[in-house]
Amino acid sequence: MGSPATGRHTATDEARGTRADATEIVGSSRSAHEPVWRRWLPWGLLVLGALVMLGLQSQLYSGQERTVSAIFMFVALAQGWNIIGGFTGYASFGQVVFFGLGGYFTAVAMSHWGLNFWVSLAASGVVAALFGVLIGLPLLRLKGHYFAIATLGVAEGMREVVNNVPGLTGGGAGISIPTVGNQATTHYLGNDGFYLLYLVLALLAVAVGMLVSRNKFGFALRAIHQDEDAAAAVGINTTRAKVAAFALSGLLTGLVGSTYAFQQVTIFPERLFDVDITVLMVVMVVIGGSGTVLGPLLGAVALQYLSEWLRQNFTEVHTFILGGIIIAAVILLPQGAVNYVREARQSGEWSLLANVRRYRL
Amino acid sequence: MSQFLQATIYGLLQGGLLALIAVGFSLVWGVMNVVNLAHGSFVILGAYIGWKLNSAMGLDPFLGMLVAAVVLFAVGYVLQRWLINLVINGPIFITLLLTFGLDLLIVQGMNIAFSADYRSIKTSYAGDSLALGSVRVPVGRLLAFVIAVIVTFALVALVNRTRTGLSIMATGMDRGAARLMGIRARHAYALTFAIAAALAGMAGTMVGTVGTFNPAAAGGFTLLSFVIAVLGGLGNMYGALVGGLLIGLVEAWGGQYLPGTWVNALAFAVLVLVLIFRPSGLVGRAYYAARQEV
Repeated sequence: MGSPATGRHTATDEARGTRADATEIVGSSRSAHEPVWRRWLPWGLLVLGALVMLGLQSQLYSGQERTVSAIFMFVALAQGWNIIGGFTGYASFGQVVFFGLGGYFTAVAMSHWGLNFWVSLAASGVVAALFGVLIGLPLLRLKGHYFAIATLGVAEGMREVVNNVPGLTGGGAGISIPTVGNQATTHYLGNDGFYLLYLVLALLAVAVGMLVSRNKFGFALRAIHQDEDAAAAVGINTTRAKVAAFALSGLLTGLVGSTYAFQQVTIFPERLFDVDITVLMVVMVVIGGSGTVLGPLLGAVALQYLSEWLRQNFTEVHTFILGGIIIAAVILLPQGAVNYVREARQSGEWSLLANVRRYRL
Repeated sequence: MSQFLQATIYGLLQGGLLALIAVGFSLVWGVMNVVNLAHGSFVILGAYIGWKLNSAMGLDPFLGMLVAAVVLFAVGYVLQRWLINLVINGPIFITLLLTFGLDLLIVQGMNIAFSADYRSIKTSYAGDSLALGSVRVPVGRLLAFVIAVIVTFALVALVNRTRTGLSIMATGMDRGAARLMGIRARHAYALTFAIAAALAGMAGTMVGTVGTFNPAAAGGFTLLSFVIAVLGGLGNMYGALVGGLLIGLVEAWGGQYLPGTWVNALAFAVLVLVLIFRPSGLVGRAYYAARQEV
């Protein structure tokens, strides 16, 4: 792992975030010199995880099966957000637009155009990715909060557009996908089918995250995160890399949205373009550790499980408690669990209070 | 024509109130680089304080708003001084998430305390209206507009002319240098946030007097504050006033002439277009748009 020579804990507040990322890059590129088994270990774990989840399916009641499916869904969403928000450092606060777009494209394609689900699923992903290119080209020139807010505006605006073309989308009354009779283009998948489909999407998203985190494209994104001008100076086409990252994260999110729409059968703009879905993705990535692959995975599993548990045991106040947990997590683990453990192992500083001092005024 | 005039008057009156809500949001963003997602919940909290004072003690909302302002000033100061300051140097998602968590807490807290029912603060005069030719001007809205504009100008004077205000601006421009000049940055930040919360609470009581509110309305005010702050631009105290009046007019005209709920998309369309073509806002300073966020 990292060496003590990376010179930690010396400079001012402003440089701190950047240094953590620099360590990260050095740590990753060094993996080329690691033994072969270490390079393949994550992939082995991924396959193992997939097998365990397949085995687990037969042990679950249908209610539990739906809960685990929802966890898979958020794993895929968190990984999707991580590509643009974590690796590239562009906080997309309108990510749900891809989710809603994928869902509505599927619903419209299946109910109006008579396409079957699998074609619609693939097409939804492509449409979401193209939309990412379309809005990414103007919006990715913005930085920081401005990008966050512009994407939020796009998502809210898109919801209103969907609300106002009832001929196509059913407007606020929602749209239903035919799942039975001759109208149905694809037979409803049922709990078991959706469990498998969400599992595949989650695995796909994690695999994409692993590929991105280790290849040249991913290093370009990390370089942009650290210093965009410097990245351009070393020959990275920053516009192309950013737009590609946005489109890729849109693709993954759109696929999930498409599956969600088919699972829900009837969808409404308020739910498919719900800001809270975006915020959940962000919270999961940040709590787990943004810019890593393991972080969003752990964050999604932990938070979705916790949220479901709170919903069942503290129905009245579960959102209230969730708010408190988000605040506590952000204060105590601002860099995310995975990055915290990684840095603590290098520096030997495990105190959470030292962690709080990191971003304090 | 009289329909157009009526919509214009209504839009301007509403815009003044929106400006009062957004001016604090814009100040916090400009000075501390924090986008406060809990801003809308301060507005609604202020509305509930005014409502409670009115229904329990019969206090007039235009006096009750002063109490709301004081309470929210204290709440804002404590939140910034001992909570948000802990992560103020973090990446932007951190402050966004922290304030989002606060928003969840406050909105759900209000849901538990006051239920999700729509409320409004009743007065004997706010529903009356003055006739101006063929146009009617509701008294409550006119009063709220006048107060909102006066308070906004008072804030500008405070920031530009007093030592406290200058210390806030100095901290916003260069925190390191400001601290070397003996300004307590933690206190200056807390004061900024407290002022923003107080103005939001004050505006909230007026929102409750001229219309209805419930906890779920908080998100809408946060989004409008965003749009107005971006539209007006940061770094110029009149930005929020310009942005607020403009959004008030756009929404009033849109509501009058556009079918369905297209009017809701209008504000966001304006937002995205302004960000693409003039990221520093209509009257803002380029420094704030171009600045690199740490």
